[in-house]
Amino acid sequence: MSIDTPARIEPDFHGPEKQQLAAWLDYHRATLLIKCAGLTFQQLATASVPPSTLTLLGLLRHMTFVEEYWFQRVFAGDDVISIYESRDDPDADLNDLQSAPLEDVERHFLDVGDASREIVRTSDLDALARSSGPSTTIDLRWVCVHLIEEYARHNGHADLLRECIDGATGD
Amino acid sequence: MEKPDRREPPFVGDERELLEGFLDYYRDTLLLKCAGLSDEQLRTRGVEPSTLTLLGLVRHMTSVEQRWFQQALLGRDVKFVYGGARNREKEFHDVLGESSGRVERNFLDVCSESRIIARAHDLEELARSSNPDERVTLRWIYLHMIEEYARHCGHADLLRERLDGETGD
Repeated sequence: MSIDTPARIEPDFHGPEKQQLAAWLDYHRATLLIKCAGLTFQQLATASVPPSTLTLLGLLRHMTFVEEYWFQRVFAGDDVISIYESRDDPDADLNDLQSAPLEDVERHFLDVGDASREIVRTSDLDALARSSGPSTTIDLRWVCVHLIEEYARHNGHADLLRECIDGATGD
Repeated sequence: MEKPDRREPPFVGDERELLEGFLDYYRDTLLLKCAGLSDEQLRTRGVEPSTLTLLGLVRHMTSVEQRWFQQALLGRDVKFVYGGARNREKEFHDVLGESSGRVERNFLDVCSESRIIARAHDLEELARSSNPDERVTLRWIYLHMIEEYARHCGHADLLRERLDGETGD
């Protein structure tokens, strides 16, 4: 089993705010899958740029958790518990890579992306939510831009992890 | 390079404030990743086989700022600090004789200019460039700049960790 290369759509050059935010988010969700596509579980679980402990599989699990956390838990106020959460390790999403098979990781990633998309579609960008973090109050606009930059930064990690695994490069 | 005084973007605010806030956050993040290293470290290909270097990334983002704010948005005939699109490889790789002081100065100057240019335009405004690949809105430019900076800062994270073990946002 390996992850399939998804279709990735370039964001339009113009358009209203929410449409642009949604398009860039989708672009980076697809980019992360592209960086993982075609590799074995073993390759995806390899920390290929030591001393960093990051792996492609860990990034995929981490971004699933990040989407669940910001869109579902903080913004929508849903009481979700991520399948990657663990009492023993706050970074189990990044570290406990044997806890789920690849097909589950991929399916869960896609499902969580769908849920986030639906929340953005049906909510106002000015809508506020309480965060338990240091900021206390955030709006949906902030969540969207934060997710874009967090995806993009981790996709930068993914670029180098992938290049060190099989030499593949590209946007 | 000096450590910049980086500020968190506002958690609640209008579109413009947030986009400006995140873009400045990432301009500073790239400088933070370079701060305190020697010129030789900044020129080192830390994650081979990748040919990326921290100094090459700062040079590249200087060109990217010029491309989108000066060339695309204003439709200006730009004199690129590092030669522009025809020299893409050189701006990344031609770092041997390069000093971090010069690169930092160019970067800060170009970012200041981008800020001044952006302020005079509406987010819905279309770029004046005659190149159809650059007929984007200022909103698109902001979002693209943020994601491009963030992605290269991801590269910078791993380069820096290799060079001296330092990590962090």
